[in-house]
Amino acid sequence: MSGAMSEAIGLVRLRRGRPRRTALWIPLGIVSGYVLVAVLGPLLLGYDHVATPVGDRLRAPGSATANGTAWLGTDGLGRDVAAQIVYGARTSLLIATVAVTLSALVGMTVGALAGLAGGWSDVVMSRVIDVLLTFPGVLLAIVVAGLFARGLPTVVLSLSITAWTPFARVARNVTLSIKEREWVSAARLMGVPRLVILVRHVLPFVLPPIVVMATLEFALVVLAEAGLSFLGIGLPPSTPSWGQTVANGKEYLATAWWISAFPGFALFLLVVSVGLLGDQLSARLGRNSRSRTS
Amino acid sequence: MHANPKALMRPALTAALAAVLALSALAACSTTSGGGDSAKPDSIVVSGTYPVDSLDPHSAAGGSAGKEFTGQSIYGRLTRPDAKGKIVADLATKWTPDATATAWTFNLRSGLQFSDGTPLTSEDVVASFQRLLAGDSPNKSNFTGAKIAAPDKDTVVITAAKPDAALPSKLAIFFVLPKTIGADFFKKPVGSGPYVVKSFTPGERLVLTANDKYWGGKPKIETVTVRTIPDLSARLTALRTGEVDLIWGVPDDQLKTLKADAGLKHESVPSHQVFTMWFNSSIPALASPAVRNALWKAVDFKTIIASLYPETGALAVAPVAPTVFGYSPQQPKTYDPAAAKAELSAAGFDFGKPLRLQFANAEFRAFNQAVVSDLAKIGVKVDLQEKEQAVFIKDLLAMDWDVNFQQLGTAGFDASANLGRLYPCAAKRTGYCNAELDKQLAAAGTTTDENARAADYAAASKIIWDDAVGMYPMTVQIAYVWNKRLDGFTRDASGYPDFSAATVSAK
Repeated sequence: MSGAMSEAIGLVRLRRGRPRRTALWIPLGIVSGYVLVAVLGPLLLGYDHVATPVGDRLRAPGSATANGTAWLGTDGLGRDVAAQIVYGARTSLLIATVAVTLSALVGMTVGALAGLAGGWSDVVMSRVIDVLLTFPGVLLAIVVAGLFARGLPTVVLSLSITAWTPFARVARNVTLSIKEREWVSAARLMGVPRLVILVRHVLPFVLPPIVVMATLEFALVVLAEAGLSFLGIGLPPSTPSWGQTVANGKEYLATAWWISAFPGFALFLLVVSVGLLGDQLSARLGRNSRSRTS
Repeated sequence: MHANPKALMRPALTAALAAVLALSALAACSTTSGGGDSAKPDSIVVSGTYPVDSLDPHSAAGGSAGKEFTGQSIYGRLTRPDAKGKIVADLATKWTPDATATAWTFNLRSGLQFSDGTPLTSEDVVASFQRLLAGDSPNKSNFTGAKIAAPDKDTVVITAAKPDAALPSKLAIFFVLPKTIGADFFKKPVGSGPYVVKSFTPGERLVLTANDKYWGGKPKIETVTVRTIPDLSARLTALRTGEVDLIWGVPDDQLKTLKADAGLKHESVPSHQVFTMWFNSSIPALASPAVRNALWKAVDFKTIIASLYPETGALAVAPVAPTVFGYSPQQPKTYDPAAAKAELSAAGFDFGKPLRLQFANAEFRAFNQAVVSDLAKIGVKVDLQEKEQAVFIKDLLAMDWDVNFQQLGTAGFDASANLGRLYPCAAKRTGYCNAELDKQLAAAGTTTDENARAADYAAASKIIWDDAVGMYPMTVQIAYVWNKRLDGFTRDASGYPDFSAATVSAK
């Protein structure tokens, strides 16, 4: 009887599992593809963003140029759009990874500490977070990016400056509920130092929602970086970036649509895939982990 | 009682549709009403290259601040260039030099009036001139040490510090204001030009109405709205939709598509502007003419111009444009990267240290990127710095740059306003100082003999060119594109179109 039941459960799992699995694997595959392109692409493609072969400017996708076939066309200075997308993927992913990791670490630490410490330090930190949350993130990023010289550290800083606050909020909320649990009280009664309680008994429960959050933030940061570069306050022009390529093409939308369209599509696909991946992770990590612990 | 879901849905759907339609209609209304008055028969909307930030013609801002373009519509001046650059009468009808061309007597037109009805006399001219000299306008160095007097109501005498044959052409950018100016004067200035300011939002829009007290007769077009549309694609769209009647300074890539539009007319006129890329000769890396010449040789300007500016650009062969008095063609530099690299190495050029190339205005980005690319090919690193106009001007005057890109004009179409103003040692604008050049420029400024002046400027041009004080890659044509209903405005060679004789056809 128990055998039949497990079989039935297995069937149900199988039936529910298949679409779920594709919903996970498709975005995961796309995102992995981007990562591969970002890591390996620049090694395989020789492309110099400073070089401007003006003789080959505004060629349509598939045209032959002095540097080989431009599969996605060339921009207003004759630079290959496909190569710019590949190099731009590296820029985008690098910035988003660094900014999100930084924000997650800072947010998690601040949030967990605030939740664990309680009292006035919690009040102060929570209000700081509230204040930062009231600012529109992109506006603050524009201000910060405008204050400093253009470059990678500036962009990472300007994007992280508000991105850590949601992490801190989530970490604090989870910590608040975890710290009332029996095992934490027991540890406290046994005289386990606070730092050890934090690391061994609280952070393992904070981590899953933070990971889910990180994927969602990742998509937002990729978008925000492209936005900054589009406005011309992100990376310096010598570094290829999707936002910049889209901006370079906006005067040619009627005559050379490919300059803006392809990097725009690359951006769209990545952001949507990361978002879908985040949904899947939240369904798995979030709900399942809760049902397992309770 | 079975409620038909479809029947229920329908009113909801209709309501939603109606709401969407209403919203889009609202949106459409707000965009068209934002477009200005271009549909009205006696009014036009124009959008030029530069933003109009200030209406003070004597302010510290340079010509690219749009103050000369608006100045000529609002204020009068003693002389003005016609569309081809010839100096003609404006407020003054006649001007005569003394024997040495030091003291110039200007006879004012009789019965001149400001737009508020007060008479314009020599006193106003004197006060304006003194205001210009007392301020920090970049144009005041055209008149260093000059004195002005008003022997009677209709006469002014300007006495230059040294003999100055080019004085009337230099006065083409000297605008006359009333003698007393209140604190709020430039919110609603009073002038003697063809138009009067109706309203002004700096950097956004300037609305002008016809001045019925203009000495040349009231202009036919009642209202001219000057809009600042910084984004090029938005400006082009505005022209195509009829929201704007005239744009100028259109880049070549966009010119092609506009030409195909049957509702538009276009004309490109040779300007007095030259792409000018000064080297900062005061820094050790660029102190030697050999280095500067080698850098010039390393850039394939011919190809860059042919690709980026096939219609409005031409390879320059002198530091000033062919339309300017004192133009003298020089030996073109040949593109030879290998020789350039060898010469740089021989001169001990430091390839490790990047040169800072500064420019303002996004329209020049592609050109400068192409220059950087060519220099990178021979191993010269360039840090390309695109700056805001105000920051650019500040850094330019503070000599905080290694290479400076400008589209440099010669106001008044006389080389004295360009070579004579910017290249003497005392001007401290390029870091270059050459006693021989100073002598030639001084000589050109002091004689009244046209041929002798031309010869002096030719000699000065040769020194500037051979020593590569800067690179002079390209002479510029200004492309005007306008709606067919507009006619009769001047396709000005400075990029300052004049609407005093323009007309609008009914359709």
